[in-house]
Amino acid sequence: MAKNKISEKPKVAFFDFACCEGCQLQIANLGETLLDVLGAVDVVEFREVMSEKWDKDYDVVFIEGSIGDKHAEERLKKIRERAKVLVAYGSCAALGGVNGMKNGFEIDEIRRYVYGDKYSYFDSKPTKAVDQVVKVDYYIYGCPVYLPEVVEVIKCILKGVAYSVPDKPVCAECKLNENVCLYDKGVVCLGPWTKAGCNSWCTSNGNICYGCRGLVSNPAKNQANDIIKKYNVNEKIKVLGEELMKKKIEMYNKAKEVK
Amino acid sequence: MKYHILEKKNLDCFIKNLLKKMKVVAPVERGSGNYSFAEISSADEIKCDYVPTILPPKKYFMPQREKIMDFKEDGDVKESCYIDGEKIAVFGVHTCDLSGLQCLNIVFNDKPVDHNFLMRKENLFMIGLECNKYCDEYASCALVNAHLPNGGYDLFLTDIGDKFVINVNTQDGEDFVESIKLPQASAKDMSELEKIREEKKKIFKNEIDVEPSKIPQIFEKSYNSKVWEEVANKCLSCGNCTNVCPTCYCFDMEDTLNLDLKSGERIRKWDSCQFETFARVAGGENFREERSMRQRHRVYRKFKFPVDKFNRFFCTGCGRCSRTCMAGINLKEILVKLAEEVKF
Repeated sequence: MAKNKISEKPKVAFFDFACCEGCQLQIANLGETLLDVLGAVDVVEFREVMSEKWDKDYDVVFIEGSIGDKHAEERLKKIRERAKVLVAYGSCAALGGVNGMKNGFEIDEIRRYVYGDKYSYFDSKPTKAVDQVVKVDYYIYGCPVYLPEVVEVIKCILKGVAYSVPDKPVCAECKLNENVCLYDKGVVCLGPWTKAGCNSWCTSNGNICYGCRGLVSNPAKNQANDIIKKYNVNEKIKVLGEELMKKKIEMYNKAKEVK
Repeated sequence: MKYHILEKKNLDCFIKNLLKKMKVVAPVERGSGNYSFAEISSADEIKCDYVPTILPPKKYFMPQREKIMDFKEDGDVKESCYIDGEKIAVFGVHTCDLSGLQCLNIVFNDKPVDHNFLMRKENLFMIGLECNKYCDEYASCALVNAHLPNGGYDLFLTDIGDKFVINVNTQDGEDFVESIKLPQASAKDMSELEKIREEKKKIFKNEIDVEPSKIPQIFEKSYNSKVWEEVANKCLSCGNCTNVCPTCYCFDMEDTLNLDLKSGERIRKWDSCQFETFARVAGGENFREERSMRQRHRVYRKFKFPVDKFNRFFCTGCGRCSRTCMAGINLKEILVKLAEEVKF
């Protein structure tokens, strides 16, 4: 990363692609830490909070959203050319995210469904994560991103060191938080297959893990039925079993199937 | 050996007196058959009849995340170590968990000693609670002889009906029971205690029908057993089995910087040999890449390596690893299969 050494007070920009822009909004939720962050960086473009544009190179760009048509691909490549460091920010950018569900359909079928009979005027391609189009230097997973992790990544960027995303399941953190296992409550949870790093944000607050951070690099593949067997989850799950878990996992991970 | 009596109706008074001196934690109900040690303010919150808590009381000796150092890079690096030792009474600790804490005590007293652990230990007032029956089918405490009290506590309570017999094991324990003027146990109380111990001999029996003295020999022959592959086919590598284990103590160190990029802190947090990244080193080599190797390592760390080094099993039979495994990996089944394989 030495050749991309960023300035003392780096010029930072935020860009959004196909997404809900909720991860950008999380920046505003940083509270007091936001002031410290703004003391360390110089935000030059951020459509959600300011109208100014920047015409020089960027030190750091945060890319939010997935890439779903040719215009997006071209725009992303141009941003990459002007940026020393590129961050895939949030699960849409880092993984493809929920937009990846599009990839379960024939592309023309889905274009017709969304745009009606004039669909041919609107380009649409299978959803891609940012790293399926350009090189990514830092990944921040999450839907939305988990703020303590965002701050950690910002510090790594400023220091010029790598950030390693935890590659263990959410259960690892959930257990340390001493939560009652969702399976004990008879609920299907994607914690056992999903990357940790969120400090079990959802499961610590009474929700299930939806798998928003994507799969660990070597997920246990055939264990869903063992889990269903042990917990005798419920009639519906017993019938659908592994298939249902696979579908739940696809909610966030479908785009990564694109070659 | 000193024995005192606490009438059950006076338990709240006992707790209130403890609370005057220190924070009190005890097993509380968490729903869906789960319990955890948590801070309490009265005896009503305590569940004396509980299945081992999600995390063992080791969390008070070695917290899941523990700050151990502040550092500042200002020309040279300046460090200030951070040792915390809040005074806490841990009430209602089962004999399996007391045994687990003894294991940790051995490890952390081994050189170099772990000052953070020892400082915390110094400030913990341990109150054990006897199990008169099994908690559930996952337990295997009789196998490792952890179903009876064997030290490691200040006070130890045994339920003999409408009162507890309290065994006093330390000066701190004696000072406390004397400060609240608990009566000495009578001969009748002691015979009640004796009766319970006799009864326990009938209830608690070696759970797996494998002679404990044979276990080290079994493990000498089981390194290449096919059992590890079978277990690996189930394993999720989630680390639940080690995180809930009362004798697992592996940790990772994490340095985090503040936004000034000059100062920061060092955190020690629990790690698990079940994570794929645990034995990965610089260059990408991984000494235990396969799930089978990692599961084998876990079980050897309970029944082989500590026997060689400390002459003691590092399994306390609490059953947590099997109880918590979502995929149903069962420690007792592993031991039985290994014994069958080597024909013991």
